[in-house]
Parts: sequence; C-alpha cells; structure tokens
Amino acid sequence: MIDEQVLRSFQEIGRDLYVAGLVSSHGGNLSVRFGDRIIIKRRGAMLGRLTEEDLVETRLAKPDSGVMLASTELVVHRAIYLATPALAVVHAHPRAAIALSLSREEIVPIDNEGSYLLHKVPVVAAEFASGSAEMVEKLPAALRQYKIVMLRGHGCFSIGQTLDEAFQWVSCLEESCEIILAAKLIDEPFLEYRKMSEEYRSW
Amino acid sequence: MNGWMGKVLDVDLTAGETRVVPLDADAARLFIGGRGLGARYLWDLVGPGVDPLSPENALVICTGPLTGTAFQTTSRFSTTTKSPLTGTILDANCGGFWGMRFKRAGFDALIVRGRASHPVSLEITAGGISIDDASHLWGKTVPETAQALGQSTRRSVLCIGPAGENLVRFASAISDCTRALGRGGVGAVMGSKNLKAIAVEGDARVEVADRERLRFVRYEASKHLTASPLTSQGLPQFGTAGVVNVVNAIGALPTRNFQESQFEGAERISGETIAESILVRKSACWSCPIACGRVTRTAHAQGEGPEYETVWALGAACGIDDLEAITEANYLCNDLGLDTISAGATIACAMEMAERRVIDSELRFGRADLLKPLLRDIAHRAGLGDELAEGSRRFAEKREAPQYSMSVKGMEMPAYDPRAMQGQGLLFATSNRGACHMRGNMLGPEVLGLPKLVHRLQAQGKAPMVMLHQDSAAAIDSLIVCKFTNMAVAEEYFARALSAVTGVSFSTGDLIRAGERIWNLERLYNLREGFTRADDTLPRRMLDDPIAAGPSKGWVSRLPEMLDEYYATRGWDVDGVPGREKLAELGIERLLEQIPGVAK
Repeated sequence: MIDEQVLRSFQEIGRDLYVAGLVSSHGGNLSVRFGDRIIIKRRGAMLGRLTEEDLVETRLAKPDSGVMLASTELVVHRAIYLATPALAVVHAHPRAAIALSLSREEIVPIDNEGSYLLHKVPVVAAEFASGSAEMVEKLPAALRQYKIVMLRGHGCFSIGQTLDEAFQWVSCLEESCEIILAAKLIDEPFLEYRKMSEEYRSW
Repeated sequence: MNGWMGKVLDVDLTAGETRVVPLDADAARLFIGGRGLGARYLWDLVGPGVDPLSPENALVICTGPLTGTAFQTTSRFSTTTKSPLTGTILDANCGGFWGMRFKRAGFDALIVRGRASHPVSLEITAGGISIDDASHLWGKTVPETAQALGQSTRRSVLCIGPAGENLVRFASAISDCTRALGRGGVGAVMGSKNLKAIAVEGDARVEVADRERLRFVRYEASKHLTASPLTSQGLPQFGTAGVVNVVNAIGALPTRNFQESQFEGAERISGETIAESILVRKSACWSCPIACGRVTRTAHAQGEGPEYETVWALGAACGIDDLEAITEANYLCNDLGLDTISAGATIACAMEMAERRVIDSELRFGRADLLKPLLRDIAHRAGLGDELAEGSRRFAEKREAPQYSMSVKGMEMPAYDPRAMQGQGLLFATSNRGACHMRGNMLGPEVLGLPKLVHRLQAQGKAPMVMLHQDSAAAIDSLIVCKFTNMAVAEEYFARALSAVTGVSFSTGDLIRAGERIWNLERLYNLREGFTRADDTLPRRMLDDPIAAGPSKGWVSRLPEMLDEYYATRGWDVDGVPGREKLAELGIERLLEQIPGVAK
C-alpha cells in the first residue's frame, strides 16, 4: 500500500520533469528508499502521468517479483542506495547537459546558482549505458562524492533526501548547461565575478 | 596528525594523578572525534551495570578534528558519560570558547575517572596540568566559580553549580558562564567526582593539511550561511525562539505537560517578543557567523537566554506566558547548573499531578511566581525539590503515576509534540540518550522545509529519513560543529572541510557512514546496559490520546508502524539488535561479542 503523500510526490516531480523538458514522454525514472525496500517507477510508465499502478515496490538488496515490473535502471537505483545516504533518486535526460557530456569529463557551471549548488558535475562513461553492470560500478562511486552525476550521452542521476531535492539538482544542472551553451554563442571573454573560479574545477 | 593534536589527558581523581597518553589513531579514524570518539572510549572505560554517580563512571571530553580550525562554528566540545538520569550512554556538547581553548592547549580528549577525596578543580594549560583544591568553591554558583578561577578572554572555565554538587540528575555543566552541557546530568557526574571546575588556556596552532583548500570550502559554506534566511536572518534576529510561533501555528507546541499542542500565550514568549522587549544584544560562540545567542535584560537582572527549548519548558509546558519570569528562571538555571528542559518539564509534570490531586501541592499551571523558589529547591534538594531533582520519571513513578512523566528512557521530551510531527516522535523514541531533538532534528524536513518539506503527518518513509538525520547528526557531533550550520550547509561541505583539515579523503557517504557507526556503537552500549525494544517508545499519552484541538486535532503518534520500518532500515532485527552483518559492514562487529545474551 503506497501512502497518499508518497504517490503525490512521485506524480508532482514526474510531471515537473516532463513539463520542464527534462525527459521525453516515456524516459527517465524516479525512486525513493523506505528502509529495506524501494518504490520505483514501473518500466515504460510516463513520468508526466503517473498513477498508483505505475509505482512498484520492491526489495532493496534482493530481487523479488517487483523486478518484473520495475524500471530498466532498477539495478542502478539499488546500487546507489546501497552505496550512498540517498533516500531518493532522479534519473533524467536533460538535453543541454547531455550535449555537453559528449565532449567533457566534467561540467563546471559558470552561473551563480550552479556554482553555489553544484560546483562541478563529473561525467561518467559506460559502454552499455542503460541498466548495466558498468553503471552499477561507476555511478554509485561518483555519487558518494557528488549529488548529481552525468552519464555520457545518456543523462543524469541525482540523489537527495526527497524527490524534489534530487529534482532540484537536475533542474539546476540543465539551467547551468543552457547558460554555458548560450555563453558560447555570445563568444565573448568572461568578466570575473566569482572569487577563486578555478577552484571549482577541483571541487 | 593533521586536525588532531595526538594527545589525550587521562586524569585519575582517586589517585590524584594525571598522565598524557597518545590518541588512539584507529579510533579517531573510525569515530572521528567528539561524540564518536567519546563513545568509543566510554565503551572500554565504563562496563555494564556501573552506577553513573559512582567513581567507576568516567567523563570523556573530546574535541574534534575541525575544532579550533578556520571552518565555521568549530568551537564546540563533546562530553560522554553514563547518564544518571537515564542510565544510557550520554553525550552532550556545547559551544562557547572552552572547546577551542582545550584543543589549543594541546589535547584531543580528557578522560576523568575516580572520585577526589575533596572538592577539586582541574587547570589545563600548555604550560602544565594541575589538580587544585576547590573546597572554597563548593556551594558557589556558576558565575562565582568562573570568576574565582579567573575566567577571561584567554581562559575558559567549565564548571558546575550547586545542582551538580547535590547530584541533581539533570544538573548541567556550564562553560564560559553561558553555554551548557545541558541534558542528562553531566553536572551530576562532575559533582559525584568532587570535580567543581575545569579551567583551560591554550593558543597552539591546529595543524591543517591543506589550508588553501579549507579556505575555499569555508568561503563556499559562507555563501550558504549568508543566503539562508534561517542562518542569516531568523536565528541572528530572533534566536532559536524564532520558531515558537512557527511550531505553535501547526499545533506542535506542547502545552501544559503535553495535554495540548497549542499555547494561547505563544506570541508573548516568542523570539519576536524577546527581540522587541528584553534583548540587549545577540551573542556568538567562537568562530560562529550566526550568533543565535541572546543577551537579555529584565527589570531585575541581565543574563543569557532564553532559547526556544527554555521558553517552552519554563513557559508553555508550565502554562506560563510571563517572559520576564521565564527569563529570570533561565538565568537561575544557568547559575545553579540545571538543564532548563528537564527542569521545566519536570515542574510541568508536577503541576499536572498537583492539579489532578495526585500530589498535595500549591503548584498549578501558570504559577510563574513559583518557578524560581522551586528551581532553588531542586538545586539544593529541599522539600518537594528533592523529589523533583530525580527527574520526572522517578518522581512520577514514586508517586505511582508514571503516566504523567513525558519522557523517553527517563529523559524529558523537548518542545515538539510527537503526535503532530510523526518523524520527530520516532526520533524521540529511538534516540540513544533518551528523548532528544538534537540527535537528528526532524524540524527541518517536517516544518521548516530543510532541505525539503515532507508531510509532518506522513508515517511511511519517515524511518529512513530519521535514520539519515540521526547518522548525520552523529557525524556532525563528532567533527564537531554546530548543527545550526547544517541548517544551511550540507554534509558535503563538512566532508570536504574534514578532508582539507586531515589530509584524508572523506566523501559525504563516508561521513554519514561514520555517523551510522557511531549510532550503532551507542546502541550496543545501551543493549549492554539491558535496554530493549520496549524502551524505544513514547509516553502513553502520545500513543493513545489524540490531540484534542487545533491543526493537529485527532492525531496520535504512529510510532508502532514506524518503529518496525526503522529497525529494518537500520539493519537491526525485530528486537532492535544490530545484526552481525551490519556491524561487520561498519567495522565494529567485535563489540557484539561483549554483550552476552544479545549477540546473534
């Protein structure tokens, strides 16, 4: 039985992700951890239109029948929970961030909010970049250090105590990436406004 | 050893001897410092069944690797002992200047054992250590003692007042005359050892592995402290009492011994009223940019306080809305060395029992005139005060009415109604030192929206959140920094500051994992003392009696369903015993073998 408030948080964040253009119609997924269980979006469900039937409750450490229904990325979500203090995970496909991830080892925001909140977002590469063992190995390790990490060419995974906290990092990252792209189009030298700007690269 | 001084001062008061021993580096790596290191030392020093007020109990005072560094709010120190109020492991920490000076005197920890044959004080400076006769100070108040021992801008004094000397089970110890090791009876343990005071001086440099890195982390943390309205406006302008109206508005301010959850006099005791009426200036601990402290003045006196918990305990809990009376009672608690929360809550318990004719007393809710005389009687164990000095649980049990003690494991609940904040209730029930709002406060997610708002009446999913906040709090108490910093600055910054200071790489996950290790160690300590699942509970009133009116009307605590989820989340069995697998994961499985009958 899924608590009404829990369902509502999935519905609201799922809808927000879709409306903000951070996922396609059937892309991305969400999960929360409740002790030794997780609740995760059902495979193929639309984030923008989640109903109670679209949420799957399954065990955290061991497979049960829930895995038949759960999102493709279930193994990654599980690994993240087991390796980090996360209580919520958001996986989305922010377009500007994906574009930047193709040519960079890390994304360093240059805008004020991105600098405050994210400092730096590492980019992790995997040959099989959907629900793979390689992702299970690399993403949780990076998320022990950072609250949001990019998977090259695929999307981001972010963690938080709640879904909307994890959503905030996604939203912030995409805004920062759009600003980086816009600044590239303007193609003028930056005027310094952040002290110790270079330090963000070593965050 | 960057961050740590590498030395522990071991004092045996029975023998009158002191010795300096090396810091246990393995323990420091696993348990960081402060509360964690204190718990690790206490595990070995004080075995099961020891009377907390006997010479066999020990007092372990620890700073942390961040103490005395350039990072924000790093003045604090932590004290660990076995509590005379609860019989559990007890840690209490406080700010001011004492912690920074003790560390800069060259030590990470101070262990005090045994009992002196007569009242003594300790003096710790870089130049030497001495145990001095303090017979002339016995009976003196906190300010009198601090003055006699030369408290100054270079010298800090931690001492007890008459309450500690008279073994009041919720006696506090006070540093710099204004900051309390408040809860659980640290003052009584000092009193039982005939230890009146510890004076410290020190200005040694704390070695930091990467000063430039620390400077950048500090700079980034300062942005968040400045940007957060809570740390840059709310706490500086209104102190912690700024949340009185906030908590009251949602029907979570316990009133008249938790019989109600809204107080009609809340506005008159709020942080806003304090700022408009009695505030002289704000005050801050060393290296704190927040400055939540209040220097206040009434018609008769000037002093420090009151904080949120105090205006509640001596105010709403007792049905009192006379701010001057509450404030002067607060000054008196500071002078006598009394925990304001347990003092007020115990008086509230007695007030209800008097109104219900369970005891024969003139006490009644709203009787502000009785506060100060009763507090003096408690500290000096006179009349009814002698019974109240045992704490509300022992008092109510003695009068065969335990249902009127609003306590968990014998420690009085602080200023949040568990029926109106489900996570806070679970937190109170499971806190290792008894009901506590500082071992992971759910005020953030359930009321203030920090980091995000979670429905306060939701039960599902609260257990892992409570666990995360408890583990985070244990880590923060071990670094050791102020938890108000954590209201604006995420654990990520603490991990980076710790890495910069020590030169050892700590991720956010590592820090939280250290907190989990510490929480489990404390749990094992309590299991070794015989505590069980039955002790992880709330007063019957919280479980059986719905709130009668207000925004939280009709709610009781959903503790039973949350507790099962909590144990599962922690990797404990249904009896609340950590499994061997979990402890192995945390690197402390050996300790389980020292608990006969519990090890599985």
